[in-house]
Amino acid sequence: MQYFKITLIRSGIGMTGRQNKVLQSLGLRKRMSIVYHPVSPEVAGKIMKVKELVTVAETDKLETKKEIQESRRPPKGFVVEKKVLGGSV
Amino acid sequence: MFGPFRASNPLFGGLVWKIPWRLSPPQKYRHRKRLQRVDEVIDTLESALKKQGESIAAIERWRHEMPTEAEMEARDKYTMFDRKSKTYRKGVHKTPKWTRISQRLNPPGF
Repeated sequence: MQYFKITLIRSGIGMTGRQNKVLQSLGLRKRMSIVYHPVSPEVAGKIMKVKELVTVAETDKLETKKEIQESRRPPKGFVVEKKVLGGSV
Repeated sequence: MFGPFRASNPLFGGLVWKIPWRLSPPQKYRHRKRLQRVDEVIDTLESALKKQGESIAAIERWRHEMPTEAEMEARDKYTMFDRKSKTYRKGVHKTPKWTRISQRLNPPGF
């Protein structure tokens, strides 16, 4: 099944009540939040109402909240080459 | 002359927000990117619906009426119609919320 991956890039603050209600109905509350909706004319119509505020991608698999968080985690800055067994070196 | 009660324009007349007359080159660049982002959203919506054999009136109307960023002339991109100004044009950045609205068309002949 195909999904729209919708990311809120620009805040809806100060936009029309109608656009903010559409964002609410899509489940977009904060900037950079991601929601998935199945590809359908209804959802496409909603996205058209807020097209200046969001980016859209088409995908076939859903991401959990944890996976989204993991993909956003910055690199740790080090690489573990070899683990020493037995604790203290 | 100095201090908190000096006579300066903003303090005397209240709020003075100065919007520059013209857009700077980086502003224009970011504006183009925003236009392209909207075009991309519409492309993905259209192609995704097409795979299901569907289409919606809002997209069809947009395709019929609105030029894409590449098709737009520079004067429509960066300026818009203004009935009060001498040249009937003003910078598009004078529009309220200009970074979050689609302002692509102008009255024919202006």
